[in-house]
Amino acid sequence: MTDPSGLSRRERLALFLQREVSRLASWFWIPASAFTMRYLLGYRIRNASHLRRRFRAMLRESDGPVLICSNHLTMVDSALVAWALGGTWWSVFNFRWVPWNLPETRNFASGGISQLAVWLTKCIPIRRGGRRQDVSTIIRRVQHLLTHGETALIFAEGGRSRTGRVQTDSIAHGMGRIASSVAGCRALCVYLRGDRQSSWSALPVIGDSFYVDIDMFQPTSERSGMRRSRDFARQIADRLVSMEEKYFARRQRSS
Amino acid sequence: MTREEILAKVVEIVRPFAKDKDALETAGLGTNILDDLKVNSARLVDVILEFEDEFDIEVEDEDADSVNTIGDAVDLIEAKLV
Repeated sequence: MTDPSGLSRRERLALFLQREVSRLASWFWIPASAFTMRYLLGYRIRNASHLRRRFRAMLRESDGPVLICSNHLTMVDSALVAWALGGTWWSVFNFRWVPWNLPETRNFASGGISQLAVWLTKCIPIRRGGRRQDVSTIIRRVQHLLTHGETALIFAEGGRSRTGRVQTDSIAHGMGRIASSVAGCRALCVYLRGDRQSSWSALPVIGDSFYVDIDMFQPTSERSGMRRSRDFARQIADRLVSMEEKYFARRQRSS
Repeated sequence: MTREEILAKVVEIVRPFAKDKDALETAGLGTNILDDLKVNSARLVDVILEFEDEFDIEVEDEDADSVNTIGDAVDLIEAKLV
């Protein structure tokens, strides 16, 4: 598969090193994060085993690249999504499907210890709204990872939704750019929401249960350049909006 | 089309997206679109797509990476028009 990233040998080596060290460390950090979410924070993923079976069935449909695109309400959504999809030990043994994350530098990677933790847990910090060249470098890293069998998680809105709903007016163009530039890339849309999550917050409510829905598709566009990337981003966002509508319709019926 | 004409059109295109209208009045080639004019980074894509329509050019994502200032946008458009 052609690698559209054009990363230098040094950059590729740095990513390889990070992935391998993270893989070794995953025997500790994946169970530890799952334990924290399940037992210390009391979180539950509703219908987790059914969800994980669906996720694995989707992965078996094709061996192509997968970009995970999720809505975003709390600062631990990436950990919740990874846990919801893979569980603990499946993730350890299928490490390529533990998604790379792009946390906001100011939130997660501002100090020495947190920088190390972020590096060890398959994260590539990004400064949202930063210099376009810096954002582009991060995008090229993700393109490289996807073309080499890894997966990555991108929040469709870039940051946490300020309205509590999927905000289609602030869709991350980089998401469409990655999906459109990696040949055969499928988008795995994930809609995640805690039962007691009314809007955005730092953390979900302790003891909350999470509704998680997934849907995989391959965006398409007849156009080229930035318009193609934008088409891809919009299609992914539209899919998330549909999933959100389904969630609220279901919630209304059950109340 | 002269460089000055491109600059004037670029400023007009950016106008509806700029939150800092005062900065727009004194905008020049060195004005940073995100930092000085306070254009939302997610909307920068829309700005560049407007450049495409206005100047009848096609901009790749990689080209757009070089656009930080009004001057960068003018340089890009000028290069595409040649």
